[in-house]
Amino acid sequence: MAQRKIHSSSTIGTKTSRVTLNPKVARRSFLKLSVATAALTGAAMTTRMTAKAASPAAAKAAYPDSKMVRSICTHCAVGCGINAEVQNGVWVRQEVAQDHPVSRGGYCCKGASAIDMVTSEKRLKSPMKRVNGKWQKITWDQAMSEVSAKLTAIREKDGPDALHLNGSAKVSTEMAYLQRKFAAFWGSNNVDHQARI
Amino acid sequence: MTNSLNDMRHAKSFIFIGSNAAEAHPISMQHILHAKEVNNAPIIVVDPRFTKLAAKATEFVRIRPGSDCAFIMGLINEIIQNGWEDKEFISTRVAGYPEMVEVASKYTPEEVENITGIPADQVRKVAKILATNRPTSLTWCMGGTQHSIGSSITRAFCILQLVLGNMGKSGGGTNIFRGHDNVQGATDMCVLADNLPGYYGLSDGAWKHWCRVWDVDYDYIASRFKEKEWMNAKGFTLARWYEGVLGEEKIEQYTPIKAMIQWGCGSNSNSQYNRVVKAYNKLDLFVIIDPFPTMAAATCTTDNVYLLPCSSQYETSGSVTSTSRQIQWRHKIVDPIGGCRDDYTIMKDLVGRLGFADEFYKNIKEVPEDITREINKGTLTIGYNGQTPERIKKHMENWHTFDIETLQAKGGPCDGEYYGMPWPCWTDTHPGTPILYDISKSVAEGGLPFRNRFGLETSYVMSGRAEGQLAAAGVCNPGSEVKGGYAEFKDVVPGTNWKTDLSQKTIKDALARGMAPFGNARARCVVWTFPDQVPIHREPLHSPRPDLIEKYPTYEDKPNHFRVFTRYKSEQNPDMVKEFPYVLTTGRMVEHMGGGAETRSNKYLSELQPEMYAEINPVLGNNLGLRDGEMMWIESPEGGKVKVKAFFTERVDDKTIFMPYHFGGTLMGESLAGNYPAGHEPYIMGDSANVCTNYGYDIITQIQATKDGLCKVSRA
Repeated sequence: MAQRKIHSSSTIGTKTSRVTLNPKVARRSFLKLSVATAALTGAAMTTRMTAKAASPAAAKAAYPDSKMVRSICTHCAVGCGINAEVQNGVWVRQEVAQDHPVSRGGYCCKGASAIDMVTSEKRLKSPMKRVNGKWQKITWDQAMSEVSAKLTAIREKDGPDALHLNGSAKVSTEMAYLQRKFAAFWGSNNVDHQARI
Repeated sequence: MTNSLNDMRHAKSFIFIGSNAAEAHPISMQHILHAKEVNNAPIIVVDPRFTKLAAKATEFVRIRPGSDCAFIMGLINEIIQNGWEDKEFISTRVAGYPEMVEVASKYTPEEVENITGIPADQVRKVAKILATNRPTSLTWCMGGTQHSIGSSITRAFCILQLVLGNMGKSGGGTNIFRGHDNVQGATDMCVLADNLPGYYGLSDGAWKHWCRVWDVDYDYIASRFKEKEWMNAKGFTLARWYEGVLGEEKIEQYTPIKAMIQWGCGSNSNSQYNRVVKAYNKLDLFVIIDPFPTMAAATCTTDNVYLLPCSSQYETSGSVTSTSRQIQWRHKIVDPIGGCRDDYTIMKDLVGRLGFADEFYKNIKEVPEDITREINKGTLTIGYNGQTPERIKKHMENWHTFDIETLQAKGGPCDGEYYGMPWPCWTDTHPGTPILYDISKSVAEGGLPFRNRFGLETSYVMSGRAEGQLAAAGVCNPGSEVKGGYAEFKDVVPGTNWKTDLSQKTIKDALARGMAPFGNARARCVVWTFPDQVPIHREPLHSPRPDLIEKYPTYEDKPNHFRVFTRYKSEQNPDMVKEFPYVLTTGRMVEHMGGGAETRSNKYLSELQPEMYAEINPVLGNNLGLRDGEMMWIESPEGGKVKVKAFFTERVDDKTIFMPYHFGGTLMGESLAGNYPAGHEPYIMGDSANVCTNYGYDIITQIQATKDGLCKVSRA
């Protein structure tokens, strides 16, 4: 199951993806263990979870021609380090960052399962709109052209304050800055994000 | 946070109030528990619930939701009555102290017990623990802020730390644990209805500053607005934008809101969510940009809605600011999957089609690095100017070289710098400021006094007393040319000040003289522009204690509060508790995040914590004829209701209901699974707690009051 998801997540620019450990077994043992230890706190639970998820051999061997990318967890503001192993453009494995000065190898269950942000089969892959109440896939060009035409029409008819932009604390600082700058250039202070609530 | 998570290792005691760090920020706990073990630091946890953090406490204090200010003012009073205040710190670095003491004196331990439900002896005990185990690290989260008096509560927290002399010290500080991964960065960039990036506000001067940074004419930006007055007027907030759509409250804007873009925003985080849903369905255009379909995609059933799949943050890059003000570079791990696009690409496309790309991207060629550089250029107020993309990446590459205790690099390419260059980082050679307001080291080495922001002298309406606002003689950072308080820097480059001098000569000049660009002043106990100049208790809008409303009434109604009429006095009805007898409070669970659009679409997390529930005390449950594990209805005074599983537990008392707020996909007991794009509904769904969270907003910030509403409960 996990293997299929990794495949489906790598449709851009990669010829192949390969998972050396048996993903079915890995996932089952991962989840079984997680239920068994659910009474423990996040940190304690997940250190054991991640340790047992891979077989000892697979845990040690690097994927051929893989590289490690240092990144930061997207869940809370502790800012834990993530070591992501990438092979042929596919995120194949996630390691704790033992030497990160704040998290020091710790992960909660959300951080330990960060890879599923990318591999989840629930991810949307195409723009969509509702037509007669039913969702329909559309191209990016159609979506952006319709959205911008409608925005322009509303701006001309009702004025720039007829739009509200709910921005985000989940994007990068650079993107958050662009969201605020967008509102300024659009011509409204109707912009806000989750820090308000 | 004024300090950092790592610095909490040096605390001699902790007080957490309205924070459940063990679930909400689990990896921070290693530093807290280190101090508990090594320093023998007591941990005081103040919460309506016996949380997972409370399980680690040495002293658990059960408080009635919304009464935090009374408790803290009571602690301050008890500290002062016993002479435990830090007299030296107060006389040299604090303003408005006698006026504050006068107000605090009304909060005796007995009165605190009456308001909060905390026994008077426990108030005395906690005050003594804090007085005898300094420095104390004080932490709050949304449990402290999401009240109609949230701005008073948080000020009381700060005043407590001033009274104890715990500010600007390693192991002390006011350490607010921020929620979302980049809520600090997004707040600093002011994705906010009342500010331009760097907290510059909305004045003409602020707009002119940013127009200079953007390299566009002020007149061009002004021409984009309906009229100039709307440039200076605060907009609708995230908490109440939907009132601009619904037309049920009086709004102060020339048009209703007709279009909404939700870009990375979990919709079911809004209180009174059933009313938000009504607004979605009234919009002419609703654009949802998210990696997963949020609950809005299932609740808005018109043909006016678009779903644009942006990539996750692992498929793009940029900086993120942690709760410790550390700036880290989140490297891209893989390219955007499937047909997803990263945020920058979507923005560029949108801006291009709307016709202002040339002006918008004038300084921005390399994305995202040129954006970081533009931020560096303009965000001088909080010292975001020294953290260049190159330096941030260098810290990431060398994170192993930073010391766990001090966060300072020991040797290597970042030698002497603090991890992530916590702001303010005044120049591209400044090491960052690991502890705010610390005058034990020079400004160039990361020291900082209190900011001079509110003039040189003030006379208080409350007492008629006049007081200088600058720090006392002799109190300054080592190496300061002026040996004592001084005003903020201006006219180094004529016509500019430290915040608006884009050459940054003013900032460099200040540092060369050993001084802080923003001056050296006192921290205020009195805020003369707020309705409550010194924090006082006011009963929640929906109070379970009608007997206290007369003595501690809420505010007068506020007609134009971020463009919408906001009820206070006219909403506070002493009889409401008769029909809605229980207090409803909400919070986090470790397995989920926010509205749960991401975590409930994650197979591992969904299996770990698959079901919505509400915590109810067994005494209350049995009195209502409920059974543990049965379904029950919880209803709000606004007509919102949720059908959830009863979880009998003594974590809550018999007057309080707790619900986690991460669920969605079900609305008032009805599954909306069929409303998501087929196959993209979350793995797990349940009623959203925010359908039941009540009306009520902070008087200053308009944050929603989700922690102290009322509800009723019945068998389903």
